[in-house]
Amino acid sequence: MTTLEAVAKAVRDTGGELRAGGTDVMTRATRPPVDLLSVPGLRGIVWRPDGSARIGALTTIADLLADDRLTAAYPALAATAAAIATPQIRNVATVGGNLLQRNRCWYLRNPAFTCHQTGGDTCPAREGAHLYSAVIDQGPCIAPHPSSLAVALLTYAATAEVHGRSPLGIAELYGDGGDPTCDHRLESGEILQAVLMPAPTPIERAAYRRATAREMAEWPLVEAVARLTLDGDTITTAAIAVGGVARTPLFLPEVADALLGKSATEETLAAAADLATARCSPLPRSAYKVALLRATLIDVLTACSAPPPPATL
Amino acid sequence: MEFSLNGKPVDVGVEPAETVASVLRERMGLTGTKVACGTGVCGTCTVLVDGRTAASCLLPAGAVADREITTVEGLGGDHPVQRAFAEHDALQCGYCTPGFVVEAAAFMDRWRAEHGTIKPSREQIAEALAGHLCRCGAYAGIYEAVAAACAGEHDEGTVTPVRVEALSKITGAARYTADVTLEGQLEGVIVRSPHPHAKVGEIRHDGLLAELLPPDRVVRYVGQPVAAVAAPTKAEALAVAARIEVDYTVLPTVLSSEAETIVYPTEESRKGAPRANEGPLASAKWNGNVRGPAAMSWRGRTAVKRIEKARNDGGGQTLVEATFTTAVQAHTCMEPHGCVARWEGDDLHLHLSTQAVTRVAEQAAKRWKLRPEQVHVVAEHVGGGFGSKVNVTSDVVAAVELSRLHGVPVRVVLSRPEELVDGGTRPGVRIELALLADADGGLSAFTMDGHGDSGVSIGSNAAWHSRFFYGNAPRRIRDYDHITNRAPGIPFRGPGLPPMLWALEQAVDEVALRRGEDPIALRRRWDGNAKRHALYDRASTLPMWRDRTDPGDGRLRRGVGVAAANYMYFLDPGTKVSLTVEQGAVVARIATQDIGTGSRSVIAEVVRSTLGLRSGQVRVELGRSDHAYGPSAASSCSTPSIAPAAQDAARRLRKALGARSLDEAEGLQVVGRRPRDRRGYVTPFPLDHFAIGRGFSGAVVVTEVEVDTLLGRVRPTRVWSGVAAGHVYVPRLARNQCEGGVIQGIGYALFEQRHEDPATGTVLTANLEDYRIPGIADTPEIDVYFHTEGWDHVPGRGVGLGEICTMAVAASIGNAVRHATGWRPHDLPIRPDLLLEGIGT
Repeated sequence: MTTLEAVAKAVRDTGGELRAGGTDVMTRATRPPVDLLSVPGLRGIVWRPDGSARIGALTTIADLLADDRLTAAYPALAATAAAIATPQIRNVATVGGNLLQRNRCWYLRNPAFTCHQTGGDTCPAREGAHLYSAVIDQGPCIAPHPSSLAVALLTYAATAEVHGRSPLGIAELYGDGGDPTCDHRLESGEILQAVLMPAPTPIERAAYRRATAREMAEWPLVEAVARLTLDGDTITTAAIAVGGVARTPLFLPEVADALLGKSATEETLAAAADLATARCSPLPRSAYKVALLRATLIDVLTACSAPPPPATL
Repeated sequence: MEFSLNGKPVDVGVEPAETVASVLRERMGLTGTKVACGTGVCGTCTVLVDGRTAASCLLPAGAVADREITTVEGLGGDHPVQRAFAEHDALQCGYCTPGFVVEAAAFMDRWRAEHGTIKPSREQIAEALAGHLCRCGAYAGIYEAVAAACAGEHDEGTVTPVRVEALSKITGAARYTADVTLEGQLEGVIVRSPHPHAKVGEIRHDGLLAELLPPDRVVRYVGQPVAAVAAPTKAEALAVAARIEVDYTVLPTVLSSEAETIVYPTEESRKGAPRANEGPLASAKWNGNVRGPAAMSWRGRTAVKRIEKARNDGGGQTLVEATFTTAVQAHTCMEPHGCVARWEGDDLHLHLSTQAVTRVAEQAAKRWKLRPEQVHVVAEHVGGGFGSKVNVTSDVVAAVELSRLHGVPVRVVLSRPEELVDGGTRPGVRIELALLADADGGLSAFTMDGHGDSGVSIGSNAAWHSRFFYGNAPRRIRDYDHITNRAPGIPFRGPGLPPMLWALEQAVDEVALRRGEDPIALRRRWDGNAKRHALYDRASTLPMWRDRTDPGDGRLRRGVGVAAANYMYFLDPGTKVSLTVEQGAVVARIATQDIGTGSRSVIAEVVRSTLGLRSGQVRVELGRSDHAYGPSAASSCSTPSIAPAAQDAARRLRKALGARSLDEAEGLQVVGRRPRDRRGYVTPFPLDHFAIGRGFSGAVVVTEVEVDTLLGRVRPTRVWSGVAAGHVYVPRLARNQCEGGVIQGIGYALFEQRHEDPATGTVLTANLEDYRIPGIADTPEIDVYFHTEGWDHVPGRGVGLGEICTMAVAASIGNAVRHATGWRPHDLPIRPDLLLEGIGT
């Protein structure tokens, strides 16, 4: 048993890296790990009086999926969690770890290269192999952010509760993507404790979609989450976010705005999806991601504007 | 640290950096838990932690303190899932099997608790097993086994495994090279070049070190072995390796064969170039970094004239001209290359992950100047090969040299990144093809130029194989190797054929489309092979083919494509099998190996059925070079070599036994030989032990795909694989191998591609997340059909099928995508970006 403060101190003193489930940290040559798993009280879901949930940072992805109340209350989060990695990773990987993991750039993870991320002054992907890179240029590094959960949480306007600083929104947790050296904005010794969900929306329609080559178990080329509420045919609220296309997970208010007050026709959805591509400035071999971003948005919007399927036994 | 292991409390000291996988394997000796990727992608290391599955290669040892760990050994061997895996032959090489079994057992227990004995759907099984990769592609059997276990079909009764060694693989007892631990053994690691092209000068190290350089001391790709060192543990060896100083004089990097710098500037250096082909190398000139043309033409000038004339004046003919490319594909066997070497006096003992115990023993004897009988190679179980394990590779050299230096056994096992960089690849090929049909629709001529992207290798020979397909119409066939400072291509399952057929079989399809003719009917006219005629006839009656419909213009479009393959028949005529009567049973011994293809089971079945014995009365011991001479698992020569030899041995034993029972004949021994084929062989004498027999094996593949035109994904939904390889000795195992051939073909067609940094040639796909092999969810419904006639001149009437079954799969997918979308893919793999660009969204 240890405390958050002790862990924070260990990180500051040793220059170590926090480790939760370890499914990311263990795959990298890292600074000495400082384990969080022995800190009590960080795992599990607590329901608050207003019906909202507080998700402890060490709650595993599998825990999210096993909680019927949570999956009913936050369907976009559940759909996203179900698509992450593989069963034996979801059993170990945590919510906090998913949000704060390092990106998967194949140059970053190859010891032969240095880059902006590791203190160098180049991005080998820009001039080199950038098939899977970001297409929304936010700064020197073009590694897409790996957290799928963050995409879902952006659409819920969830809040991060952090030891050592005041709570911050999910978008704030990642900033503008301009700093290539980190995948989130927490300082050394600041520890994500929990994610605070807002109270659930009663009848939302939500979906998660990812574009991949294989059926399962693959990092997305592009991923998208949409949450809509409809009054008859008319879209009354919308929240849309995407991943795989930028250094940070991205909330897309312009796409949501284009849907509000309109009926969910094919044309409306396509026109809204088009707006997302305005931000893109792809490299030669990543241009397809612009089309794929639009396609994934159309897919996810179509999925959650269609009437929900009848309940099955 | 205390925890519960398979129901018993244990207390073990661990290092902070250690993983649970390492504790289990290295400290507890539980080697059923394998480590194949080390990054949590492949699932071979899966264990249960408090009843839930986890990738033990990513679990810090400390994370399981006071918790309950169950490994494959802890399942007891009698779990319904284990019984089902044996009965349904849900495995081949077996290296991924313990991980699959642990995950499937957890799934079944959960499923039964929630749903009773209702069968789960394929999707539900795929979801549960999504975190496991099987490179052999035994997914069809895995689906069957898991569904049957969940349905309660394997709760009790005796288990009769189809594959004789199945139970040892399913329980984790089977020992692979990476599992071997000898007294006093050190771990060796290889220091590799960080430069694509450099001359190596001094290597400074204050301990024992084995150099692994070519004679000219020039390294020619990033990752090329330079030296090796050993220490008691892998971590220590890596630390030692990190301290070695190597002087490199960096040379200009050649990443295009047009570069001014020459990769192999001298005759001598060319001799050391690795080879991507099997068998003799076709002669060819060198021109800078290009070697070629290696010609295989037949009336080549006539072919060129006819095509030039058709270009100028069509005259009702059909001329299809196109360029096709394929990506560099990695073998990436689940068991990496590995060797444990031990010297005993002047005798060299090797535990080795190899597909060629006899060949490697011969090579080792030559290399270390030993008599053949002084080299002893053991390969009890081998976790896949696919062509990458037929020679003395750097792991062997490192282990042997280090063992000699240190005077103790040394184990060298490649990591997954090493495996993906230097463990072997199929060269990428660019094929320029012109195919001409005359006005009557007959094959008039073709020209095919193959340009191999084989890194530092030569012998990429893809076009070469088109000589033997579609009769004797004039054809000009040329192959070129384009040498660059990139990791070498080596032989890979049907070397040269999948890329050649990717081009040829799509061009044939295109001719049929332009002529408005059924593609199967056109092939039947062009192809003189009677065995394939039988397959064409069958394929054309398949509902999937016969009832194929207009794919329409919706988001999801279905298309059906066909492709055929033709392959030579190889055998090793020197094969022998010895049979000895021991304690009332017959023990077959042969110096061959089972890399998951089922050679043990073939021998067991032949001996058993010839002698009329029960399955328990025959035991097969192979994987030792000391036994009676046997073949390499290469060129699909195993079955047509070992089965007739085993049958000959069984007949001799029957004769020698006379009226005696086995109990009365203890110690009786006979040696059977592979009888000659009627009318002999194409080759007057064996080349490097291989003979080319008369006749060609054939395959016809019909594939249905569903193309998601929105997200750019191609999903094969159904595959019919017709194989003409004569008598099938053990049908379930043969089917399994053909299903695996389909899976590998799907990987080749849709996912697999080595990516490199364009500035240095450094391999970026150095893990199983970036190098994408098919998972269980990518498995279509596969129907394998065997045409068994046409091999009466071969004793036993059957030939090999491990390669013919995979060659045409990618081309059939290309043709199916063309049918579904109207767009013909020319470049492999058909990634979402290429598909979206191709169909114009």
